[in-house]
Amino acid sequence: MVEKKVYSKLGAALAKGEFILTGELEPEKTCDLSHTIQEAKEMAPFVVAANMTDSPLGIVTINSLAASAIVQRETGLEIIWQQTVRDVNKLGLAGMIMGAHALGIRNILSLTGDHTNLGDVKEAKPVFDLDSATLVKLVREMVDKKSINGHEIECPPTLHVGAAANPNSDPIEAEVLKIGRKAEAGAEFIQTQVVYDLEKTIEFLRAIKKYNVPVLLGLFPMKSYAIAKGFDMFVPGVDVPKDILAKWKRIKTEITDKKAQNEAYDQANYEFFKPFVTELKSKRLLEGVHCMAVHYPRIFPKLIEVIKG
Amino acid sequence: MVVITTQKPEEEIFEALKNYHANKIAIVSCGSCAALCQTGGTEGLAKWQEKLKEKDFEITAGIVSEDVCDNRVMKKDLRKIDDEIKESDAILTLSCGLGAQSIIKTLEKNYPNKPVIVANDTQFMGMTERIGRFYMRCQGCGDCLLNETGGICPITTCAKALMNGPCGGMVRGKCEVGNYEKDCGWVLIFNRLKEINRLDLFSKLREPRDWSESGHQREVVFR
Repeated sequence: MVEKKVYSKLGAALAKGEFILTGELEPEKTCDLSHTIQEAKEMAPFVVAANMTDSPLGIVTINSLAASAIVQRETGLEIIWQQTVRDVNKLGLAGMIMGAHALGIRNILSLTGDHTNLGDVKEAKPVFDLDSATLVKLVREMVDKKSINGHEIECPPTLHVGAAANPNSDPIEAEVLKIGRKAEAGAEFIQTQVVYDLEKTIEFLRAIKKYNVPVLLGLFPMKSYAIAKGFDMFVPGVDVPKDILAKWKRIKTEITDKKAQNEAYDQANYEFFKPFVTELKSKRLLEGVHCMAVHYPRIFPKLIEVIKG
Repeated sequence: MVVITTQKPEEEIFEALKNYHANKIAIVSCGSCAALCQTGGTEGLAKWQEKLKEKDFEITAGIVSEDVCDNRVMKKDLRKIDDEIKESDAILTLSCGLGAQSIIKTLEKNYPNKPVIVANDTQFMGMTERIGRFYMRCQGCGDCLLNETGGICPITTCAKALMNGPCGGMVRGKCEVGNYEKDCGWVLIFNRLKEINRLDLFSKLREPRDWSESGHQREVVFR
């Protein structure tokens, strides 16, 4: 067996087969990263690494690589740099991958990216020179073969590369085959879209098991009723179960004390996600959990309880 | 195949004429594609003759030419109105962008400074369902993938022109671009390949498109 190369804490955890918890940071339209840094500090004791988003929904934010490097440097929290193929062509991406290494970044999550048409710079030219699978392939070529298009890189980058998956996708068979392509391209880990439907998730994870890529399951603990409702309404293709929405609504209306309300939300998240994760872990269908609840670092101690055991 | 055109906003056309200080106008209207799109032909010509007259322009000539985009046809047809072109301040073309540039090319020797004003926006190469219903299904990318994708073009039907779709922007077979009203091209490809028992083609990891040969002043010259 070829020993897996390890370039980061995430890479080490994957190689050891540890159950992994990753978080997510979403920098905003600002040059001041102090909020993101603060959130990273609060999250750091609990997670192996945290993703740094790349202008989600096509709404422009501070550059993801810059934010990744600064937050990692300032906090010591290892970052999974999210990079989409929406805004940069292959030439640009290759340069950024080397730049990322030079800045100390050791993990990248390859994403297609939401179309420019959805965001706040609609008139921008959408690039999509590569796609999420061929960006994975580019990273692997640069890291493993130490070259770009066969041209040698003097000091090559060392990054672990992951890809996304959507267990809610319909038709799911197309998504499964797509994961096959990403695995073939060399994806070393998968982080999924947020899931709430246990049966669907089991079906999907079973279907992609054959590709042998570790899966970090996307969970979205909901900080408040407003967030749960907004997520249900505005994130296409992901439905928050009705009973969850009802429970969160009850917490909002029945508990007036802010502190007690927060505790109730945290506990409700624990009660929903604990059996969910336990079931999947018992079936050996996942290697970790990716918590996508941004601006909710308070939940991490509870999430540690969720993934324990 | 039809080169689909739509008429520019009238004020934009008049503004262009004004910017060229054009008062005496010769109109060249396309009798093929633009006629089908109702942006040219005899009807378009009559309409623009009327509109220009209303605004006190002088019309020196008005012709409908069968293939404005064909340099040979243009050479023959423009020769017939040579005197009128000579006295015109500008030519208004009711054609696609190819037609406009064909006129410019035809006139480049004798009238290199004659402005050619386009009345239409060229949209795409269109598949015709019926007159008035035209659909973009091919972008002429120069490297046809249809044999690999069940006869559905991802470059055209996928909003991101992805080679390895569908992306996460697909929800229940619909595309995030356009508020989930249009079909996801890659789901169409998946369904078609499944139907013809060729999901092996769907599973294939495709290389990015090679742009080194495409895009810049492409030409086909075989004689």
